Amino acid sequence: MSKEKIYAGVDVGSLGTKALLLRGDTIISHGLIRTGIDTEENGRNVLKVALDNAGLQWEDLDYIVATGYGRISAPYANRTVTEITCHGKGAHFLHPKTRTIIDMGGQDCKAIRLDEDGNVNDFAMNDKCAAGTGRFLEVMAATFKVGLEELGPMALRAKEILPVSSTCTVFAESETVSLLARGENPDSIIKGIHHAIANRVAGMFSRVGVESDVFFSGGVAKNVGMKAALEEVLNARIVDPEYDPQLVGALGAAVLAKTYATREANNGANNRS
Amino acid sequence: MALTTVHKIRDRVEKRPLELAAAREKGAKVVGWLSYAIPEEVITALGLIPIRIGTGGDTRLVEIGSRYISTKNCVFVREAVGLFAENKDPYIVNSDLVAFDAACLQLFRTAEVVEHYFKVNTLVLGVPRNFYWPEAKEYFWHELEHFVGKLEELAGVKLDPKRLAASIELYNGIRESIKELYRYQAGNNPLITWSQTYDVIHAGYYLDRAEYAALLRELLAELKDKQGEPVISHTYGEARIFLSGSVIPPKDHKLIDIIEQVGGRIVGDDLWSGLVPHLNVEIKEPTVKGIAYAYLSRVPHAALPYLDLKTDERLKNLKGLIGAFHAQGVINHTLRYCDPFTFKAGETKEQLKQIGIPMLEIHTEYAGSDFEAIRTRVEAFVEMLRNLDYQEAV
Amino acid sequence: MSNSTVDLYRYPEELKEEFITTEDINFRDGSKASAEEIWHFMTVEAPVRYPHAFTKSSYYHRQLSRDIHLPSSIKHNYLFLTMKDRIENSRRNGTPVIFVQGGQSVDPYYAAGAIALRPASVGLWASGRHEGNTMVGEEVRRMDEKEKAYRAISFEACQTAGYEHIQEGDLPVDMLAPFTCLRCSDVSYGVEAHRHGKKPVNLFLGDFPLDHQKDKPWAIDYFAHNLHRLTKEIGDMAGHVVTDEALRAEIRLHNAGRRLALDTADAWWSADAPPTNGSDRRAIFQMGGMEMHGDPTASLTVLKEANRYIRERVKRGVKGNGVQDNPGRIFVCGSCVFPNEFRTEEAGGVIVGNDNHWSDISTLVEEEGDPYYNLSKAILSYPYEQDIETRAAWTIQEIRKSRAHGVLFLYNWGCNTQSAIARMLVDIIKRETSLPTLIIEHEFGASQSEQLQNRVNAFVEMVRP
Repeated sequence: MSKEKIYAGVDVGSLGTKALLLRGDTIISHGLIRTGIDTEENGRNVLKVALDNAGLQWEDLDYIVATGYGRISAPYANRTVTEITCHGKGAHFLHPKTRTIIDMGGQDCKAIRLDEDGNVNDFAMNDKCAAGTGRFLEVMAATFKVGLEELGPMALRAKEILPVSSTCTVFAESETVSLLARGENPDSIIKGIHHAIANRVAGMFSRVGVESDVFFSGGVAKNVGMKAALEEVLNARIVDPEYDPQLVGALGAAVLAKTYATREANNGANNRS
Repeated sequence: MALTTVHKIRDRVEKRPLELAAAREKGAKVVGWLSYAIPEEVITALGLIPIRIGTGGDTRLVEIGSRYISTKNCVFVREAVGLFAENKDPYIVNSDLVAFDAACLQLFRTAEVVEHYFKVNTLVLGVPRNFYWPEAKEYFWHELEHFVGKLEELAGVKLDPKRLAASIELYNGIRESIKELYRYQAGNNPLITWSQTYDVIHAGYYLDRAEYAALLRELLAELKDKQGEPVISHTYGEARIFLSGSVIPPKDHKLIDIIEQVGGRIVGDDLWSGLVPHLNVEIKEPTVKGIAYAYLSRVPHAALPYLDLKTDERLKNLKGLIGAFHAQGVINHTLRYCDPFTFKAGETKEQLKQIGIPMLEIHTEYAGSDFEAIRTRVEAFVEMLRNLDYQEAV
Repeated sequence: MSNSTVDLYRYPEELKEEFITTEDINFRDGSKASAEEIWHFMTVEAPVRYPHAFTKSSYYHRQLSRDIHLPSSIKHNYLFLTMKDRIENSRRNGTPVIFVQGGQSVDPYYAAGAIALRPASVGLWASGRHEGNTMVGEEVRRMDEKEKAYRAISFEACQTAGYEHIQEGDLPVDMLAPFTCLRCSDVSYGVEAHRHGKKPVNLFLGDFPLDHQKDKPWAIDYFAHNLHRLTKEIGDMAGHVVTDEALRAEIRLHNAGRRLALDTADAWWSADAPPTNGSDRRAIFQMGGMEMHGDPTASLTVLKEANRYIRERVKRGVKGNGVQDNPGRIFVCGSCVFPNEFRTEEAGGVIVGNDNHWSDISTLVEEEGDPYYNLSKAILSYPYEQDIETRAAWTIQEIRKSRAHGVLFLYNWGCNTQSAIARMLVDIIKRETSLPTLIIEHEFGASQSEQLQNRVNAFVEMVRP
């Protein structure tokens, strides 16, 4: 019996580097480390973590696809693909009925539309100076002296939205400091912040359209307040993640690793015959 | 196979600033111009030398320009102001007069700013918004007459009808050559790429127009000889991209380089720094009136609002060119604070979606800080286009 | 204390006796609102329907002025809060409503049988359809609404030509027909955006020719043609034939408003102690544009009364409510924005003038001869719309009349036109007047802006005698 092939996806992001291994169509392990300065080493290290978790060696890997901003320094990869395409495949793997993805990371935000095979057929991403990213939330968490994970529950507790600008993170920070100084309810301000971000995201979706059920990936997907704000503004249902939303890119890369490996093998067979 | 004429054109452009300075020393007068509705035919007919000025891609000049205009103006405009502030660009230095028009409102204001701060001798041509009205054409005709009167003062001569007719013929020839050149760059296995063609277009901003016309004819002859008649069709996996949106002036290579680096092939454009000024210019009579009417009847610039979507010539032209060049997708390039193109991006995308053409919006400025971000977007778009080919083949 | 809880301002009952002796407001259709009716609305009905207007917090710059002994202040707010009722009543009676640009005259629209509303007035009408909102609720509603326009056009748009109300909402504006290029580069694109909107709406652009336009006969001619087309299209919609005499009569009426506003400004500026606060001043001056209440006759009535009260206050040295002694007098130039007057006054300043609407208000139209030509000539000579040096000369003249201690130039984020000329205009003003100046970028539509107010307050502290 031939050994089932192992496919690897590596996603080198700005904050976290992720790897995921597939055996056939089954996820067998993953790795997640903080991104350091040496991009190539990050990729290799996280793959090693995933391999160790699966009890495998580097030689067991059949095909590697790298994605994320760090893909430009991934000589270990057979191929590099953008995170947009990878997120499409990863979301489709987990939820085949998904046609819309919101991916919100630290530095950018993506609105992605898929066809029934998980191929990207449209996408939009955030522009500069529109605070619609996870970084905005990090700044606000620091202003409120709470952990990032507390922001979502605070937003859900609030009874009203206090409007906050989302043109510039720095100016928004000034506004929130002023609102707090005036004695406004912190939960309401946080809800206003989530609402502002959701409006920015809705702006992107006005370009590509939204179809329920929506798949929410990236670090910000763990924020329950953000999920609620997006559902309200987009008037769509967001599915509950069954897998760590931070790993969707790496998963998609692994899925594509299998696709490309198969295609190349078929092309090779055709050439030989 | 290298094209010798392309090298020749490049070489001539390099020598042009010194030539221009020498010509001025002998008494020649140079009219630099920015904007979109300035008719070079008239400038040439008066014996003046037209030079289209304005560059892109220099964040240092953008920063300098921002101090005089504002950080909330389009980067192209800011860099233009920066060019005047620094006063080192050889074409700026060698302009006796700089002409602007009111098609783009920011450029319209730039004229006053550079005149005030840098003592630039400026001249402005008004452009009507309701360009499709007979009254608007009449207004523009009188505006152009007034504009020509000012140029006559600079030239020290009156506009001669015969010279105007000859000038119109010269520019008609240039326009036809450029249209033909675009067919070659879009063809299969082209000897000239889109970005080389684009450089040739930009060469036409600076070179003596008669010489330029001759060089274009020479280039076309070389292409015909070495390549034959162009056949334009789509090859599997090619990712044929059409560029639309805000200007991409000389020295602004960021987006073009990125597209080519990630394996996309640009096959055409409707940029006002590229093909579109050369389209649909039908001067019915060799007079100022004829020129005015013809210029107002061209494919309109997005800065001129048009209230009926169904009869919008700009969109019709865009769709037509996409078809003619067999493009699979459009990259809509908009500069930060370039309102006309930015505000219409969503609508354009929707219009193209109706004919099955995907569009990627790239909203950027000249800073390099978004290089990777843009690369990711363009690369994803190329992946998407290639995947469409794969899906179709399967 | 939280400012978002419902804690409303009420006009004191003891004011009623004084107020109900003041004049009625006359309306264009011949109807009237008596002082007693106005009092009832402002004390009984309005606080329930529009609680946000009665917010006590000075952070809300649309709050009611507390200058309760200035009846025109209460009447102005009455007209604002009844905008929706009156406009919709007029529409039911067959009068079309036209969206126009700020800073333009509205004579031809009224002559053609329509009501002309600038963007803020359209916003006011839209706001009037949502009752029961507190300050916070109203701000969230406004921002969410504007977001819809951003999605359809762009986040960088400043002026969205009522797209959010008309296309994304259900505001039944009959036509969009602003004069384009007038100070604002976005409005023509905002109007254009309606072409891809969900609802068909009549679109028209009054093409304002640029570059020394007032000195070019062909430009005046061209714009006169625009006005002919405009009045014909509106007239056809209203079932109304616009005669030259009707247009001349309308010009005379609007000139009356303009003259009265000029006279009022002269009086206001002549006083050492500002006779009203900044919010009331701005409203009173702007009434001369005959647009802000959606009824020129009503605006003129209130302005006449305001003029008398101001003259009296100037004579007696009465200071406006909320204004401190020896305030820093600030003249504001730029986009159609202004700082929060109440907070500026708390910091010791007072806004004594704005240039944007003032330009068209201070331009009288000739009353004899071809009214289209006269209107065109006047409109093309608006000081605000001239080359920067000419505009600066006029602005300096007004700054001197207002006896300002300092000049602020405010422009909206996204306003390319005003941002482009800001430095040059301010440099000329500084050179000619030696007054301190400051350029500030303002986020249009933001509910509060500490960054903006901080800068304004620091400027006030700097210039205050």
